[in-house]
Amino acid sequence: MEIIIDGKKCEAQYGEYLLDIARKNGIHIPTLCHSDALPGQATCRLCIVEVVEGSRRRVVTSCVFPVTREVEVFTNSEKIRRMRKNIIRLLSARAPKNEFIQKLREEYGLLQETRFAVDEKENCILCGLCVRACEEMGIFAISTVNRGIEKKVSTPFDEASDVCIGCGACAFVCPTRAINIMDENGVRHLWNKEFQLVKCQKCGEYFTTREHQEYMKQKFGEDNNYTLCEKCRKKAAGEKMAECYRI
Amino acid sequence: MSKHGNRTILVCCGPGCLSNHSMDVYEELKARISQAKIKAEVKTEVKATGCHGLCEKGPLVRIEPDDIFYTGVKVSDVPEIVEKTLLNHQVVEKLLYHEPSVGRKVISPKQTRFYKKQMKLALRNVGEIDPSSIEDYIHRGGYKALGRVLSELSPDEVITEIEKSGLRGRGGAGFPTGWKWRQCARMQYYPKYVICNGDEGDPGAFMDRCIMEGDPHSVIEGMVIGAYAVGSHEGFIYIRDEYFLAIRNMSHAIEQARDKGFLGKNILGSNFDFDVQIVRGGGAFVCGESTALMASIEGKVGEPRAKYIRSVERGLWGKPTVLNNVETWANVPVIMDRGAEWFSSIGTENSKGTKVFSLVGKVQNTGLIEVPMGMTLREIIFDIGGGIAGGRKFKAVQTGGPSGGCIPESLIDLPVDFDSLNNAGSMMGSGGMIVMDDRTCMVDVARFYLTFLSEESCGKCVPCREGIRRMLEILNEICEGRGQPDDLDTLAELGEMLKEASLCGLGKSAPNPVLTTLRYFKDEYLAHVNEKTCPAGVCKNLTVYYIDESQCKGCGLCQKNCPSHAVEGQRGQPFAIDETKCIKCGSCMDVCRFGAVRIRGRDKSWK
Amino acid sequence: MELKDFSYARTILEQYPPERRFLLAILQDIQKHYNYIPRPILEMLRDYLDVPLSKLYSVATFYKALSLKPKGRYVIKVCDGTACHLKSSQSIIDEIKKVLKIVPGSTTGDGKFSLETVNCLGSCAVSPVMVINDRFYGRVTPSRVREILEEYGRLENEQTWK
Repeated sequence: MEIIIDGKKCEAQYGEYLLDIARKNGIHIPTLCHSDALPGQATCRLCIVEVVEGSRRRVVTSCVFPVTREVEVFTNSEKIRRMRKNIIRLLSARAPKNEFIQKLREEYGLLQETRFAVDEKENCILCGLCVRACEEMGIFAISTVNRGIEKKVSTPFDEASDVCIGCGACAFVCPTRAINIMDENGVRHLWNKEFQLVKCQKCGEYFTTREHQEYMKQKFGEDNNYTLCEKCRKKAAGEKMAECYRI
Repeated sequence: MSKHGNRTILVCCGPGCLSNHSMDVYEELKARISQAKIKAEVKTEVKATGCHGLCEKGPLVRIEPDDIFYTGVKVSDVPEIVEKTLLNHQVVEKLLYHEPSVGRKVISPKQTRFYKKQMKLALRNVGEIDPSSIEDYIHRGGYKALGRVLSELSPDEVITEIEKSGLRGRGGAGFPTGWKWRQCARMQYYPKYVICNGDEGDPGAFMDRCIMEGDPHSVIEGMVIGAYAVGSHEGFIYIRDEYFLAIRNMSHAIEQARDKGFLGKNILGSNFDFDVQIVRGGGAFVCGESTALMASIEGKVGEPRAKYIRSVERGLWGKPTVLNNVETWANVPVIMDRGAEWFSSIGTENSKGTKVFSLVGKVQNTGLIEVPMGMTLREIIFDIGGGIAGGRKFKAVQTGGPSGGCIPESLIDLPVDFDSLNNAGSMMGSGGMIVMDDRTCMVDVARFYLTFLSEESCGKCVPCREGIRRMLEILNEICEGRGQPDDLDTLAELGEMLKEASLCGLGKSAPNPVLTTLRYFKDEYLAHVNEKTCPAGVCKNLTVYYIDESQCKGCGLCQKNCPSHAVEGQRGQPFAIDETKCIKCGSCMDVCRFGAVRIRGRDKSWK
Repeated sequence: MELKDFSYARTILEQYPPERRFLLAILQDIQKHYNYIPRPILEMLRDYLDVPLSKLYSVATFYKALSLKPKGRYVIKVCDGTACHLKSSQSIIDEIKKVLKIVPGSTTGDGKFSLETVNCLGSCAVSPVMVINDRFYGRVTPSRVREILEEYGRLENEQTWK
């Protein structure tokens, strides 16, 4: 079917998410809690757009809104821009010094927040991507804790988790780089825990933790070259393939 | 007065009367009656019932068929009731209700304005039956509708009947019940579930609690009918854990219904199977939201999800699910019993039937009431509610709990129905109705609700979590005298954004208490911000009490009632308040009969 | 803190099939029995239900009825619902704070009383309301607070602050 986004005709599959359709068609919708590798979180609300169906006009979250009918969409109407501005204002009150939020603030012409009491060290916007990534890994080391304005992300009892493998998927997906991950002298510090880093057998660079390596071996078998870093593994796979063609 | 046949004494054991120790009255009545030798032909039965409604005057006792209504009954009154009323057919004058509209005491509840203007459908059995007795329920026509539905009607006919009745969900938003059922019935994958939402979390609301405690079978019967209509065989009743009596009565009712064959396999020989179980809520207001409630039943954190795919399609465990609240379910058997036509003749064009409210706050007759949709706020507050307590001035009424708004005096003739309340910026909500007088500060009210919501928001989405937090921050500052000129605009801006950009109903309605008070009581906000004054004298930082010498008659009542000895002077002379000792509790102002106690702003130059 | 015997927890667990849907019910039973959710039991539950500890911790901190810290033998719940708020429940809370020297959300040093505020107990008609271990007190005034608390025995700090 066909939908119209900001005046442009776009091809859409039944049930496809609005955000994906817009991106495929080169239409920019700002997001923070979106990752291509994970299902939509719908928590940051930056990706709100207006959907018009007949006489009905409503605001939806494009990352989780499935298109089931031919609708017209406005991603940057005055109303949407005003609402987004207020959302960014709230985000910047929460994480005032964060570079990603600052960039958004500039994009939407907002001044530095002065009305609210702020915590300058805060970077987390509680989008939930880290928790989701940890679940996808099958680890479940972190979760949201408490509720309402007290909500945060942490390990149980704020202690070093005995299941965390230090893979860093949480930090990797974090849109505001709020997760403290530090590699230093062959040791990774993450979530109050220390991990021994291992070196790639080919290039000799540290590339992941021993726990992560063991976990991957157990999950996917020994023969998948988990002793190599990602770059070398790809290279090795490429060479192997090339060899096959040569024969 | 009846001298023959059975006599029933109904002792109200609803939440209000229970906290006034009505259970002791019940026990004492039972003990005394078995001691007293009441004539054998008069079989006297004492029943502990659900809420009678007029909680203000509890504990309440009604004697049938004599139609005698006693209020404020204490254990020490029991011997007199037995002696005078039960043995000698006399009324105990001092326990009768004084009806202000006629200026004398009345015997029958039907003679009171409080009861006369009500119409009880959802509450039809509450206060009339012993909730632990399925026989009582059946005796009053219970499970008759179910029998007819299962033997005579197809699921489709049941849905059509509910659609024709115009019944809309009583839990808040007023979604048409029949439409919801039809969508679910249409789904061709199984299992399907039906859920009763009894997680009544609004502060100031206890309607659902009273139904579950006082008439649990009406909910069960409604659910079986609904399950049959949509093709479900498993149901859940989600009840707030704090409602231990509701949980107990409901569990007992479920067991009785199973024993009698109204639940379980092959119900009433119809080949239809359905059973229901109770899930206790964990203390989270957000679980009143349907998708959060389902997550909670699944054993997860009660966070809502985006509802672009509705629960009737993918609800509990991803299966088609119908969720209705307690009052909605309790209405179903009445509709099936008396017909859609009859039901839809009650109420207004778009809001059919009745609505239960808990009428509380600064009103004379606090209690549980049920009225036809479309009754005006004035009738509810002034006729049924008896007006404002202490003869003070009406200021506003709040409906819809933390999701609703405050309606000012200028809209007192507003008919109470889904659409009128929405248009006024409030909402029906589940039925809390809180009356406020001139001693209520509307900024403080907005702050109160936002404090509540800041603790109860699940914290998942940015607008709700961060928006409520910042709006509350501003309201706190305004109440403490640090409000800034731009604050009202900021509140309105954030509020409008929350309304549309939040993930679930909680966040979308969270700004209502702020937006409605801003809309109707802007002057009060401005007084706080610009003049650093709280006109109602509630915000302590902004209030200085003083006595207007020209009005003071020197009666000394204020001095007598001041807990901190801040009132100085001699009787017969004008009194004065020592600001340094005053703790700003407002007792002096509340008791002064001459309006001599006044408030002024913090800034002393202000007049 | 006395050492507790957690063996009863096993009895509670085994009343329920090992399915995630019974998590909240199990936690509530544990809360009722022990007055809190002890950490060893949370770990026991992880193995019984096969639910990750982080998920259990998330649930245990989300619901207000659950507490990871021990509560007092008598839990005082002061209603701060709308009706009670309008009828100055705050002054009741202030008085309890004064008498027991604890703030809402905490427990007295002797483990006797915990103070909580709750959002409406449904007894608005007799507001302001407080509940001590399921016993209701309606139309409470600050001056009645001490008398009510003394029903539960002599107050710990009695001599020190009189």
